[in-house]
Amino acid sequence: MISLTIKKGYNLNLAGSPLKNIIELKTPDHVALTPCTIPFIKPKLLVKKGDPVRVGDPLIFDKRNPEIKYLSPGSGMVKDIKLGPRRLIKEIVIALDKKEKYVDFQQFSKGEIDEIDRSRLIDALISGGLFQMFKQFPHGDIPDPNHVPPKIYVHLDNSDPFHPSHGVYLDKKYTLFQYGMTVIKKLSEFVICYAKIQKEAGESGELTDFLTHSIKGNYPSDDPFVVLYHTKQSINENKSWYISGQDLLLVAELLKTGAYPTQRLFCVSGNYPENRSYIKSRLGAPVSHLIKKISKTDKYEFISGGIFKGRKIEYDSYMGMFETSVYLLEKGDKKELFGFLRPGYNKPGNSKTFLSVFNKGPFKIDSNQHGELRGCINCSFCADVCPVDILPQFAMKAIHCKEIEEAVSHGILDCAECGLCSYVCPSKIEVTDIIKQAKRDYSGLSYK
Amino acid sequence: MEKLFDKLRKHFKKGGGLNKLYPLFDAAESFFYLPGVVTKGGPHLRDSLDLKRYMSIVIIAIIPTLLWGIYNTGYHSLATAKNSPHFTQAIIQGLIILMPIIIVSYAAGFFWEILFASIRRHPISEGFLVTGILFPLTLPPTIPLWQVALGISFGVVIGKEVFGGTGHNFLNPALTGRAFLFFSYPAYICGDNIWIKPANIAKNTIDAISGATPLSLLNQYGQDVDIEGALNGAGYTLAELARGTYPGSIGETSSILCLFGALILIVTGVANYRIIIGGILGLLGAGFILNMIAPSFANPWLGLNPLYHLLMGGFLFGIIYMATDPVSAPGVNTSRWIYGILIGCLTIVVRVFNPAYPEGVMLSILFMNLIAPLLDHFVIEFKLKNRMPNV
Repeated sequence: MISLTIKKGYNLNLAGSPLKNIIELKTPDHVALTPCTIPFIKPKLLVKKGDPVRVGDPLIFDKRNPEIKYLSPGSGMVKDIKLGPRRLIKEIVIALDKKEKYVDFQQFSKGEIDEIDRSRLIDALISGGLFQMFKQFPHGDIPDPNHVPPKIYVHLDNSDPFHPSHGVYLDKKYTLFQYGMTVIKKLSEFVICYAKIQKEAGESGELTDFLTHSIKGNYPSDDPFVVLYHTKQSINENKSWYISGQDLLLVAELLKTGAYPTQRLFCVSGNYPENRSYIKSRLGAPVSHLIKKISKTDKYEFISGGIFKGRKIEYDSYMGMFETSVYLLEKGDKKELFGFLRPGYNKPGNSKTFLSVFNKGPFKIDSNQHGELRGCINCSFCADVCPVDILPQFAMKAIHCKEIEEAVSHGILDCAECGLCSYVCPSKIEVTDIIKQAKRDYSGLSYK
Repeated sequence: MEKLFDKLRKHFKKGGGLNKLYPLFDAAESFFYLPGVVTKGGPHLRDSLDLKRYMSIVIIAIIPTLLWGIYNTGYHSLATAKNSPHFTQAIIQGLIILMPIIIVSYAAGFFWEILFASIRRHPISEGFLVTGILFPLTLPPTIPLWQVALGISFGVVIGKEVFGGTGHNFLNPALTGRAFLFFSYPAYICGDNIWIKPANIAKNTIDAISGATPLSLLNQYGQDVDIEGALNGAGYTLAELARGTYPGSIGETSSILCLFGALILIVTGVANYRIIIGGILGLLGAGFILNMIAPSFANPWLGLNPLYHLLMGGFLFGIIYMATDPVSAPGVNTSRWIYGILIGCLTIVVRVFNPAYPEGVMLSILFMNLIAPLLDHFVIEFKLKNRMPNV
C-alpha cells in the first residue's frame, strides 16, 4: 500500500457533522428517478403516467447511447412525471406498492465471476442498469462500454462534507466488496483503490487487502481527479474510469443476487440538531423522508452531494441516483452591520485576516457569499489551494479572452471541480464555474 | 439605519431620479452592511474574506506609519521655531499640516472613482481606500494642495480607471500619481532639499530652511568622500534612520514602523512575503556586490554599507506597501521572488549610478510593474512544460 500525501487543499471544520449511529427508516411512500442529476444525459421516456412498473424496469434511456437505460428504483405505479425548466425531465415519481415485485437479472456466483469474460460482464451491467455507476475522466460522464479503461479508480471516501465514510457503509459487507473488486479487475488491468485511513478508528485488516493507496491530506485529497493527477504516469491514463465505494457495492449486489439493488446509506448532517446521522433508506428517497420535523423550510438550503460539489435541492424533491448526502445549510440572506470590520472569531476562512485563526472550530456556517463581486486582484489565493496545481486566476483570464487552447494547456481538464477556488476568492468570482464551463465547451458537452 | 437605506433605495434604482449615482449608494450601503447575497451555485459556502476586509488590513498596517508621519511632521515643523516641542503640540501641528493633504487626496480621488463608476456602471472598488492614503504618505509635507489633487487624479484616472478599474491596472495607481508629480514638478518632490513645513509661515519662508535629505546629501559632495562619515556627520546614523526622527516624505521615515506594518501584512497573508523578503535580499545583495567592486571605481556611493540603503529614503515603505499591491505584482510565487529581488537591485542601481534621481525605489517599482506580466509569462511557460498534458 502506497501512502500518498496531498499538501494543497483546504480543511474546514464544519459544525453539524453526523452522529455515529445508523438509523434504518421505514420504506417511504414514493421514490423517484431524477434524470436532472444524471450528467449530460439526453433522456427519453419509456413509461407514461399511470404505468405499472417493477423494480428494475427501464424508465428512461439516454439518446446519446440507447443501450444505457435507467431502471426503476421501486415497484408500483408511475405517479407523476415532473418537468423542470425547458421541459427537462426533473423527476419520475413512483408510488410504491406494499409488496414489491422485482425484475430477474442474471445471477453470477463467485466462481462464475472469476471465469466471466469482459463483454458478458459489460452486457450484464448494462442490462442491470448499473453500468452508469462508472464515470470517466475528465468530465464525470458515463463512459463508452466498448472502451477499455487504462485504470479504474475506486474511491472509498469523499471528504466533501459530509459523506458516509467507508468504515460505516462497508461494515459487514467485506465479502460483497471483495466480489465487487473481482468485477472491477475484469474491466481493467489496473485498479487503484484508495481510502483515507484513520488510525484511531482501528481499521480492520480486511480492507488493506484491496487498498493500493492510502491518502492523507485536506479536502479534496480523496477526490478521484486529485488522485489521478498525483498518480498518473502517462497521458493515456486521463481516460480512466472511476467509481465510488458505495456504488461498487450496488454493482456487486446486482450481479450476486440478480435483483436491482435499492438500498442506500445516506448521510444527513448540518445546522439542524435532530436526525443528524447515517440513514439507511431507498435509492431515490424523498428528501422529506430523510429529514423530518422541519417547520420553516425556507430558512434552510438543502444541499445534496456535498457542500462544495453538490447542488441545491428543494425539500419536496428526491435524492439523485448518485447522491448519498444531504446537508442543511442555514440561508445567509441577512445583512450584517460593519461585517468587514468585525474581529471575526467565528468567521471561518482560508485567510488569516480574521481572529478565527485562533479558533479550531467547529464553525457554524451559512450560505452567505460574504461580499460582493469585484475584479480579480491576482492575489493567487486560488492557486495556493488548488489540489491539481492549476493557476486558476490565469486559466480564468485565458478563458475570458477565448484562449481555450491556452486554458487547456494550463490544465483545466485536470480540474477536480472541487470549488475551492471559488470558495477562497476575495473578489467572489465564480472561478470554478468558469473553468467547468470552459472544460465542457472544449469537449462539446452541454453543461448543467 | 437599515430602514433608511431601504427608503433611499427607490431614488437610486432604475427609474429613480438619482439612478446615475447608484454606485455611490451601493458603496455607502455595502460599507455599513455586508450584503445578504446567497451563493447561487457550488460551492455553497464562501470564505469570510472579501475585498473590503482585505483592503482594511492594508489600511490597518499603514496606520502606524501615518501616526508617526503626523508626529514627525509636526515636530520638525515646530522645531524650526523653538527647541524640543511638546508631544501634543507636535501632533496638533502635524494634523494641521497633513489633514488637508489627506482630505484633498481622498476627495479628489473619490470624485474620479464615483464619476467612472457611475458612467461605466461598475461598483466603487475598495482598492481606492488604500490608494487614497498611500499616495499622500509618499509626498513631502511641503507639497501644495493643488499638486496633491492633480497627482491623485492622474494616478486614479490614468493609472487605473482608463484600464477598467481595480484589477485591470498594471501600474500601482499611487505611485503613478507620484511619478507624475515627480517629473512634472521636480522642485517640490525630487528630494534635493529637506521637506519641513515651517510653523510660522509669516516669519519664515520655505527657503529659510535648507538642508539635505540623506539621499541627496551625498550628491552635494564631490568624489573621494567617506560617505558613511558624511552621513553620520549630518546626523543620519543607522539608529536615527531606523527610528525615523528626520524629515522626509510623510510616511517613509520610520523604518521600524514600516517593518511593523510588514509584519501585520505578512502574518495576515495580505501581502506576499516573497516580495518583501526578496526585495530586502535583492537590495542588500546588490549593495554588497557594489561594495566589493567599489575600490576600483571613483564613485563613492559604491562603498556605502547597504544597511544604509535599506533604511534610507522610502525603500522599506515602497517594498512593503507599494510593491506588494497584488494587482500590479506578478501572480506566481516564483516570479514574485524575482520581482522582489529585482526591485531591490534596481533601487540600488538608480541610487548609486544616477545622481539625477536621489530616490530610486519609486522608479524601480513602476518599472518592475511593467515587467511583472512578462515574468509571469515565462515562469508559467516553464511550469507548463513540466506539466503532463491532458488532452
